[in-house]
Amino acid sequence: MIQAIFVGLWGGVAIWFGISVFRTSSMVRSALSLLASMAAIGGMFLALEAEFLGVLQLMMMATEMSIMAIFMVMFMMDPGGLGQMEMTHQKRAAGVAGLAGGAVAVAAVLLADWGPIVAEADGPDMQTRALGIELMERSMLIFETAGVTILVAMIAATAVAITRQRTP
Amino acid sequence: MTGLAFIAALFAGAYAVAVLEAWMATGRWRLTLPILSGAALLGRESLVPRRPDRLLFEAGPPIVLIAAVSAAAVLPLAPGVILIDLATGALFVNAAWAYVMVALVMAGWGPNGAYAMVAGWRFLGQLVAYSMLIVMPITTVAMRAESLSTAAIVESQATGWNVVTQPLGFGLFWLAAMAASFIPPFDHPVAPGELAGGVTGEYTGVRLAVFRLGRLVLVLSLSIAIVVFYLGGWHGPWLPGWVWTAAKTLIVVTTMLAGGRSVPRLRSEHLLAWCWKLGIPLALVNILWVGIILWMVDR
Repeated sequence: MIQAIFVGLWGGVAIWFGISVFRTSSMVRSALSLLASMAAIGGMFLALEAEFLGVLQLMMMATEMSIMAIFMVMFMMDPGGLGQMEMTHQKRAAGVAGLAGGAVAVAAVLLADWGPIVAEADGPDMQTRALGIELMERSMLIFETAGVTILVAMIAATAVAITRQRTP
Repeated sequence: MTGLAFIAALFAGAYAVAVLEAWMATGRWRLTLPILSGAALLGRESLVPRRPDRLLFEAGPPIVLIAAVSAAAVLPLAPGVILIDLATGALFVNAAWAYVMVALVMAGWGPNGAYAMVAGWRFLGQLVAYSMLIVMPITTVAMRAESLSTAAIVESQATGWNVVTQPLGFGLFWLAAMAASFIPPFDHPVAPGELAGGVTGEYTGVRLAVFRLGRLVLVLSLSIAIVVFYLGGWHGPWLPGWVWTAAKTLIVVTTMLAGGRSVPRLRSEHLLAWCWKLGIPLALVNILWVGIILWMVDR
């Protein structure tokens, strides 16, 4: 019962900060709201006794969202939101897409066969071990392929961004 | 009871760090300095700059303190003396330290001042440089312990400290810890003499006191982490475990503070270049090296 309350609480916090991402004109506030939303999802993982995933979520999102914040500040024309500039567009299309996406997600939750519910979760150390074995055995090819692809994309993006320096 | 002992130990440690840092800077032992400067800060007016982002301005300093205390909470000070013994403790410390950066970005953006903002973003760049050198050496100590629990990592060093078998990882982690706690020559977020105090420049009074306390606890948590991961934690002859942890931590703090005193501040892009072009390959070599050692021991 307490577990369900905490899952719900963190879920509510995640949704609240998810909404506040779009309710502010400040790019930094927006990015940090998204961070808070993601950190709340980390809290949900912890409440669901998935300790490794929760801690990993908390760690990864801190860096990723902060890096996103600086890119938003660099590329937006009114990063502080002090000029009250309108930065949204295609509101109707976005609303329809959002509602449709939400409906699909809710339908997936209600209609999917989630299988039997585990009465008692393994201890966090056993979960970490199981995750490691999964990454190193069955899912190794998928994760290594994804990792190398992302690395190649990063190198390619950097190579494109660097201006060629001509030596006289 | 453990909680109270833990808080008392953190306060004592932070106090010692403050005295040591003042000694490094001025060359004089002033044991009452932290009390006096703390009282002076608390007595001063706490100003709010014009048109701040109030929420981020107020949230920055407490988050530095909370993140630093959270990191220290999962590190063992003696056998059984650990506030929260997480099975993923070695991962959790990274998560906690990452929020120091978030807090500094907040504290940089919040006051609506150019110097503070530049300093806050600089620390984000600094994190991009050093974070891999925090994570990758921790991987190898976890490899030896076959656990992410910090207590298990200390216990795995009963037969020999990690610094002996993993000197490369120790060196990288030590430097990365200095960068993570913005000790000179990695003091970009505060940058005295260049950015007029950086992220702390717009803070006064009680807010600055909280920020400074958080920073002291941060230095302490990183030093305890070095002791836990590489210097055998509480292991040592004759004396009780907590004395060994305390003594080793003070030595690490001293070396960290002394190490950068006479070195000029490293430029951001140079730090990035050194960390990515030299540091990360060395950290990979360290992982390979430790893997080979463990494989040979297993055989």
